[in-house]
Amino acid sequence: MISALVASDFATPHVDYHALAPEIVLGVGICLLIVLDLFLAESRKWLVSTVAGLILLGAVLPVVTLGVIGSDVRSMFDGRYVIDNFSLVLKALFLLSGYVVVLMSSRDTEERTPYQGEYYTLLLTSIMGMVMMASARDLVSVFVALEFLSIPAYMLAAWRKRDSKSNEAGMKYFLLGVFASAVMLYGMSLLYGVTGSTRLVDIGQAVTGTDHLVGVQVLGIVFVIVGFAFKVSAVPFHTWAPDVYQGAPTPITAFLSVASKAAGFVALSLLVFLAFPAAKSVYEPFLWVLAAVTITVGNLLALKQKNIVRMLAYSSVSQGGFILMPLAVAGTGDARTSLRAVVVYLIIYAATNLGAFAVVMAVSRKTHSGEIASYGGLFNYAPGLAAVMTLFLASLAGIPPFGGWYAKFGAFKAVLEARTGAAYTLAVIAAVNTVVSAAYYITLMREMWMKPAPDGDESPVRVPRNLVAALVITGVATLAFGVLPGFSGYGAITGLAGAFGR
Amino acid sequence: MWVNNFLILGAILFCIGVYGVIARKNAVMVLMAIELILNSVNLNLLAFSQMHHNADGNVFALYIIAVAAAEVGVGLSMVLLIYRNRRSIALDELSEMKG
Amino acid sequence: MSQFLREYLTVFWFAVLALLLAGLLLGISALVRPNKPTAQKLLAYESGVDPIGDGWSQSQVRYYFFALLFVIFDVEAVFIFPWATQLERYGTFGLVEMGIFVFVLLLGLVYAWRKGALRWV
Repeated sequence: MISALVASDFATPHVDYHALAPEIVLGVGICLLIVLDLFLAESRKWLVSTVAGLILLGAVLPVVTLGVIGSDVRSMFDGRYVIDNFSLVLKALFLLSGYVVVLMSSRDTEERTPYQGEYYTLLLTSIMGMVMMASARDLVSVFVALEFLSIPAYMLAAWRKRDSKSNEAGMKYFLLGVFASAVMLYGMSLLYGVTGSTRLVDIGQAVTGTDHLVGVQVLGIVFVIVGFAFKVSAVPFHTWAPDVYQGAPTPITAFLSVASKAAGFVALSLLVFLAFPAAKSVYEPFLWVLAAVTITVGNLLALKQKNIVRMLAYSSVSQGGFILMPLAVAGTGDARTSLRAVVVYLIIYAATNLGAFAVVMAVSRKTHSGEIASYGGLFNYAPGLAAVMTLFLASLAGIPPFGGWYAKFGAFKAVLEARTGAAYTLAVIAAVNTVVSAAYYITLMREMWMKPAPDGDESPVRVPRNLVAALVITGVATLAFGVLPGFSGYGAITGLAGAFGR
Repeated sequence: MWVNNFLILGAILFCIGVYGVIARKNAVMVLMAIELILNSVNLNLLAFSQMHHNADGNVFALYIIAVAAAEVGVGLSMVLLIYRNRRSIALDELSEMKG
Repeated sequence: MSQFLREYLTVFWFAVLALLLAGLLLGISALVRPNKPTAQKLLAYESGVDPIGDGWSQSQVRYYFFALLFVIFDVEAVFIFPWATQLERYGTFGLVEMGIFVFVLLLGLVYAWRKGALRWV
């Protein structure tokens, strides 16, 4: 039966190897890592982390050459896998944040786990899924990319085999993640049924919101959005986030809260801008509620946290709400402004949040504690760490002139340009929450700058070289994005092929 | 319309699966309920594929089958890990972290 | 009745015949044989020893590894079958693609082998 369905002539698909080079480098690199791990003596396992870092940097190279050579859209496999400016920017983001995570892990894993080869293999596999997500333009490839990035992440969350908190984190993440992706798949099957195609652009043409099948369409759209709302930990699908962030190893927490979340937003943007542009009456109210609730609940819960990782977890939930904001007005407002706001926010948030977690790792090497109270006196014995942490916290709070300020500015601009009552209300809710969020960031700053060290121990913190490199990269990025708002031609990143009625 | 029969069966399977995920306390039972949902999706896709006379749905279903196997592999090994550490796979006992 | 269903009629009659035959044989023996139950005879028989513990025993964890490996490799065959039905049409391109796919699968097998997952300890 299938053979009758397949078109009778098979033409060898055109494969653009230059465009696929980042994926090829990663794929070959992952195979290399597995082999290397199998045949390497235990005493030389440190090589694995170095090689993993080099593979990631090697995969950035073709992304750069593709960006330099031209802005033409490279489309493959019948338009199901597309390399355009949008995907190139996000590929670079995923690969570089993956590199920072490798830098953060290399000290941590040497001390704690004998499974270094598996750790980096899974990490790279997950990053490869994200890189694929940036190019996926078809329900099937979106689904495969999502599972590619999620399944290794479940295992990484449960990495500390003997630690029952880590087990709990992995199990919760796994069950909720798999359930969400199953619901999302049901939505996708309905969308396919209504439109007869799995290509996002075809779905975009068929889903108009005025068809006679409108009930099924709404169900499909809502189910698919729910699936990704879990991935980006939007309230009320956020319950896994704080537990997983607390239980997982800290580099993995940073990875999940930045890269995995960014991949979820990439998928959401693809759906909103390519698959549902005509169904704004369906997705806009839904995303509006999600955004408003996510910002508010995330902030209120962050206020009462005593553990720094849980505080950062709830703060990242609330930051996710800010990224949802432009998507909630993508139809009524200017679509380009919305997409630009989302991507810019993702980039700046990645730099800032990775940096914050790097500081948490550096400090916990001395204090062995996750309590906010243990940050007392940090300025006295580690002024450098206190200064960069202040930079990251100020950026998260949106205080000018750091990166987070520009990101929030873009999100508010996109919302205000929609010029509807709902959009203004959302902007007011977000503005109030920005002030509230400053409270818990400033609490931590006061702890670092003004309080004495809780146990009077003021010996300096020894920060390993890799962690210093991670701090420098993220710190410079956070500063640069804020000080140079016009930096790197933000206009180019809206080059999402096939969107905006082109 | 003959597609309706498949869709209704799919919807029933989906609902049973969702009920199982919410109501069951045993991790393995929850995994089985999730498999039910995935199979309802496969049923939908194959029915729609016949309806539209194109192979997209068939291809999608193949990928779902393969990915579901990988998911179950990871899930069962995680169940095993938790059983080794706690001697129990009841999900409501997994609540060390709160707040 | 469609031609398709008519072909299955043979299967149906075969099943009916099988059920009848089995029922007949068991029924006759139940009628003919002597029946004197005692407490000793009704006890579950387990190699001559009284049964210990309950019937829900746990199986060895090492069966699990083999089951898992089997499931993974078994399911990956799902991608090989459609390719195999159209082998000639896909030509060299298809052959290379499937070669890469099988290579990655083999890498997984080599990993399992090197880590000792295939050894029965």
